[in-house]
Amino acid sequence: MRSSFFIFLSALSLSHAQVILPSVESNQLAPELKGRVLIEELNCVACHQADESFTAASRKSPLLASVGARVNPEYLKDFIASPHTVKPGTTMPGLPDSLSPQEKETIATEITHYLVSLNKGHEFKQEAPDSVAAGKGNELFHSVGCVACHSPRDPDGKELLRKTSVPLGNLSEKYAHKSLRAFLQRPHSVRPSGRMPDLRIPGQDLDSITHYLLKDTRIPGNLAYTTWRGKVWEGLKGDVKAEKAGQTHDFSLKDFQGGNGKVPQHTAIRFNGFLNINTPGAYTFHLEMNGGSLLLNGKEILNEAPSDRRGVKKLTGTANLKQGWNPIEFTYFQTGRNAFLKFELEGPGFKRQNIPSSLLATLDHPIPVVNPLKVNPDSVAKGKVHFGKFGCAKCHDDIKSTPKNYPALSALKKDHGCLSASPTTPRFDLTPKQKKLIAQALPKAEAALFTDLQLVNKTLTTFNCVACHDREGLGGISPERNSYFTGTSETLGDQGRLPPPLTHVGAKLTKSWLKEILLHGGRQREYLNTRMPLFGEANVGHLVEGFGKVDSLEEATLPKVVNIRESKNAGYQMIGAGGLSCIACHDFNGQKSGGAGALDIIHTTKRLQKNWFHLYMRQPSRFHPTVIMPSYWPGGQAIRKEVLNGDTEQQIEALWAYLSDGQRAKSPKGLSRQSRELRVADETVMCRGRGPASYRGIGVGYPERISLVFDSREMNLRHLWKGEFASVNHGSFQLRGDNRITFPEGIPFHRLTDMDGPWPYKGKTNYTFPHDHGYQYRGYRLNKEKRPTFLYHYGDISVEDYFEDALDEKGKAYFKRTMTFNTTAPQEKFYFRVASGKKITSAQNGWQIDSLKLHLSGASGGEIRHGDPQELLIPITLPAGKTTLHLEYRW
Amino acid sequence: MVNMILKSLTLGVLGLPALSLAEDLGAMWGTAEAEAKYYPLIDIPIPPEVPMHPGSFEILPDQKLAVGTRRGDVYVITGAFETPPNPTYELFASGQDEIFGLSWKDGTLTAIQFGEVTRIKDTDGDGSADQFHALTNNWGYAEGHEFAFGSKHDRDGNIWVALGLSGSYKSHNLFRGWAVKVTPDGKMIPVCSGLRSPGGVAANAEGVMFTIESQGPWNGSCSLKHLKQDHFLGHPASYNWYPFVVGLDAPAVEPKSNSRMQIEKKRVKELVPPAILFPYIKMGRSISGFQLDQTKGKFGPFENQLFFGDYTLSLIMRATTEEINGVWQGACYPFREGLDTGIMNVQFTPKGQLIAGGFTTSRQWPVRGEKPFAIQRLDWTGKTPFEIREIKIRPDGFLLNFTLPVDPSVAAKPETYTLTTYTHNFGAGYGSPEVDHTEPIVKRAVVSDDRLSVRLFIEGIQESHIHDFDLAPMMSAGKKPLLHTKAYYTVNEIPVVQ
Repeated sequence: MRSSFFIFLSALSLSHAQVILPSVESNQLAPELKGRVLIEELNCVACHQADESFTAASRKSPLLASVGARVNPEYLKDFIASPHTVKPGTTMPGLPDSLSPQEKETIATEITHYLVSLNKGHEFKQEAPDSVAAGKGNELFHSVGCVACHSPRDPDGKELLRKTSVPLGNLSEKYAHKSLRAFLQRPHSVRPSGRMPDLRIPGQDLDSITHYLLKDTRIPGNLAYTTWRGKVWEGLKGDVKAEKAGQTHDFSLKDFQGGNGKVPQHTAIRFNGFLNINTPGAYTFHLEMNGGSLLLNGKEILNEAPSDRRGVKKLTGTANLKQGWNPIEFTYFQTGRNAFLKFELEGPGFKRQNIPSSLLATLDHPIPVVNPLKVNPDSVAKGKVHFGKFGCAKCHDDIKSTPKNYPALSALKKDHGCLSASPTTPRFDLTPKQKKLIAQALPKAEAALFTDLQLVNKTLTTFNCVACHDREGLGGISPERNSYFTGTSETLGDQGRLPPPLTHVGAKLTKSWLKEILLHGGRQREYLNTRMPLFGEANVGHLVEGFGKVDSLEEATLPKVVNIRESKNAGYQMIGAGGLSCIACHDFNGQKSGGAGALDIIHTTKRLQKNWFHLYMRQPSRFHPTVIMPSYWPGGQAIRKEVLNGDTEQQIEALWAYLSDGQRAKSPKGLSRQSRELRVADETVMCRGRGPASYRGIGVGYPERISLVFDSREMNLRHLWKGEFASVNHGSFQLRGDNRITFPEGIPFHRLTDMDGPWPYKGKTNYTFPHDHGYQYRGYRLNKEKRPTFLYHYGDISVEDYFEDALDEKGKAYFKRTMTFNTTAPQEKFYFRVASGKKITSAQNGWQIDSLKLHLSGASGGEIRHGDPQELLIPITLPAGKTTLHLEYRW
Repeated sequence: MVNMILKSLTLGVLGLPALSLAEDLGAMWGTAEAEAKYYPLIDIPIPPEVPMHPGSFEILPDQKLAVGTRRGDVYVITGAFETPPNPTYELFASGQDEIFGLSWKDGTLTAIQFGEVTRIKDTDGDGSADQFHALTNNWGYAEGHEFAFGSKHDRDGNIWVALGLSGSYKSHNLFRGWAVKVTPDGKMIPVCSGLRSPGGVAANAEGVMFTIESQGPWNGSCSLKHLKQDHFLGHPASYNWYPFVVGLDAPAVEPKSNSRMQIEKKRVKELVPPAILFPYIKMGRSISGFQLDQTKGKFGPFENQLFFGDYTLSLIMRATTEEINGVWQGACYPFREGLDTGIMNVQFTPKGQLIAGGFTTSRQWPVRGEKPFAIQRLDWTGKTPFEIREIKIRPDGFLLNFTLPVDPSVAAKPETYTLTTYTHNFGAGYGSPEVDHTEPIVKRAVVSDDRLSVRLFIEGIQESHIHDFDLAPMMSAGKKPLLHTKAYYTVNEIPVVQ
């Protein structure tokens, strides 16, 4: 235990470090509401009972059941003993000052024992940070949105805006990599009130940010290393990027081998550490390698340039080493033929050998080891009592404890209790201003019924939304944080880097889209580096209705559209090349635009309210003073006189009408086809090549957002799925979407002679299959909507096989399939294998095959072949002439 | 391209490092600047919204150019032949596999894609295809690298398709390593076995069909091969498909590895030697599509010669063929280097221009032209370059024909002509160095009266060898040096004295 460190901290604690709630400080919320926010953020009602609405809005404290696995017990103890010094700015109150520092430490220790004893999970264990990942994490921390609330830091880690930031404390002292990463991934599982939002950061980025936040973690080790890959012989800089860093045990390559047992060629590894020497004197290093360099006490004793033109060289270097710790740096290059490393040392009384780990250390001074806390039952019992007695359990209410009663909120008076300087109450270290705001709010607190506007503003303050979003009358991005908002599309100017303003947002976005953004992580502006996080439905869900109630704009004149087709067509003309060419800047239906990469306009009518759209299109600069989007109707006058008689309202309405088809809107002229992701609009889209069905599969995506794969080798339906269609790479394609139904490989029709016999399919060596079964593929033709009818022969039967996407009464898409058989002579019975599955049952008008409902008309009967999987065979006998079979696939 | 992708695959399998982009592609001819005076390169701009990895070209009515792409699109370009080019692109068809052959006949576009020969038609005239009639898909196609390259329609309306092996060494699926002929009614007729990884397929002036083959096993260098009915073209991996050809037996023997073509063609009577060998790197590394110049002189003095693109070296070469003792042979000549990308195919236009286009891949196979994709056009300026127009064999030497009259004082000297010969190892190993070098003696050089030809009398012509001509000292009557001083004649047969 670091008792001396603790005493040092205790001494410091005499100077007050006050609670920091930056959102309250910075914005223009009414003072009485600020007081209310403070009461909620300090969770006063946890002790001082108030009505339910108060409790619901108040910030819950972190859950502690597994804190023993999450937080370093040392830190936990110090923090409990003196929260304001260990984490200046925290809202966690300290123990009453009537206790002596020694008493505080004893109590904190016992509470720590109690909390750690609750932990049923793994033990707290730190690991060495990866400095390379930390570099990436630094960039991410300063760009994805962390510094909107927390302080940005200089390269040395010094917090630059500490006074106006939500404090983090010393995270390296507090967390282990595993626990911090888990917290960042699911913050609401520990802090359910959502003040720390879920940024939905991808796993690898999460790792990097964690490494960055914990970059000062020091744990004992033998050697630190960094690796690089690429043209390492050109120097370890520039295009040669560092790959990873960490700790290893000695000068061997075993920690760097890939799956094949080899270090990847063109890797450089730099080892850093200290070598402990017993007997001073001249030591010789014997190395075998292709290239590398060795520094002892900062002096180069060996250097061989790496070369791919030769193999391994034997090298020696000598250094005079002092007794004790000698700095050593070794850079190794995995280059050249049959690369390997041999690293031996020889010296006074030291036989030539590999350097054992015991002589190596990452630092020349000892690093304190964090040993798992040995829980003492006596302390646990005492800690449990403290936990109830000091009211800890009031806030940290995931842990059941003996309750203690405090006065109700309505009975509280200013300058009393927690708001006074009394040494017997918990220490909150509030600023005089904060105390004043609370005191002002107290009398109104109990009966507070908010107006809609107050409620919206309070929530935007509590969750610090205005740290990223401008909103008239409440605040916005502070000047000192502005430069941390960055984006990937410079041509979009500020709009390409700043999150959109929330002014009028309730009159701008549809409720469903607001819900999508606030609650489901919907994201439109991929070019913003700052990520819109999730705060939790219980916490911010009411904003969806709230914005709508408080925001309004004047009503635009909406024209009457007589001919909707003409209107949509005008919209189509205007959006494409040759019209207003919106797609020159805007992405469209997932296809990248030619230039700026501005917002995808396919979701316009889903996202925006029509009234706002009309107002915006007339004068974009009214809503964004720095907008790049020009007005195509300056002063209300249409630039394009030839479209819809130059009628401004009709033109804007036409854009709306066209875009209201959403992803089914006809692709505009000049739309890029560069994307590998194929998007289906108003016509089917096809692709073929190797992929989910042999090398001759044909994928068809239909406008109702269902798709299929037909194998032109076996003339067989192989896959159905829903949602996104496919992505292509020359000569191959892959399915996207979901809800896939798969059909077995093999020909569709066959005259089974033995019901236990195998169903024929193309194996590896039946080379002439399926032609040897009488099949011949004959291609397809497209109808007006570009839906294909596949054509093939089975013996003397010619088959036309047509699929059509349709909607059922509930608006769910399904496939209708029409198979037309033509034969000049009657055909004796053959089977059509329609599907296979784990479970096939007969259902009304058809069959149920696992999740697929199959409706069939034009043929009767049907046999289930048992086995794994089961197969559904439909017997077919054809008269001369034309026979039609109808199938419906619903799933 | 086939050559290159197969190579990177093979290297991968052997666990060798992939070729780095910095790999030396071999010396350039160094003639690009001089060539540009006669055949300037003109870019056909490609709009950013069009994914354009060209694999094949065809001329459509009304001065339109069809382009088949790797992604399986067919674009129709108007204005590609204008000066300067003023192209507009219309998507005619999409959703096909990689298209490495396009041929227009009777209002229908036939596309040769990897798995199929397809007749594509716009029946309702809306500019977009609606009928995709599969003529045949009856060859095996079940592995990567099983590529298919196709010809234009031959005189009988057939499409010829050359089917690459399943990799460099094996034939796992039906007719891989064969050339097949697809008749207008969709019948697929196997033509010949023994291919490795063929590129383009096209006919010469006599209507005889050839394919271009890549360096690799059983191929010491790239070569032009005659697709001779019921014969065998050198790589025995495709012997296994003879049982699937009615009325044709497999050759009685297989070629022996580590031998020579002149020995094996006598042992294996079905074996047809390559008509023209293209010495590796000196004349291309991955030769791709080719076409016959029938522009009636609009493209310069090379009527009825074949023009070839090269993928790796981004250049254009030409060749001439002649039939001696029933066997095709001939010579290849440098033509134009310095194109912008890996050339996959070429196409003559009605205006007598040569379209060349292609792409590079990200598979670490180096390409000299660095653009990821391009369509370019070579226009003849009307100025005649001083070139070796054609070399033909004679019983006791060669007849060299030039595009401009030669300076007789130089041309009549035997020392103006440096002639060496070499051949390749014929065997299962990958490629071959040049072996069996000889130096025939140029005994006499006789200039014709019109000074356009020189008859060389040679001692020591070598059967099955490349005859490597270097005419560096040659001068035209107007005292101009040759634009290209090199030419390479492959001697399969020596004509008998008449």
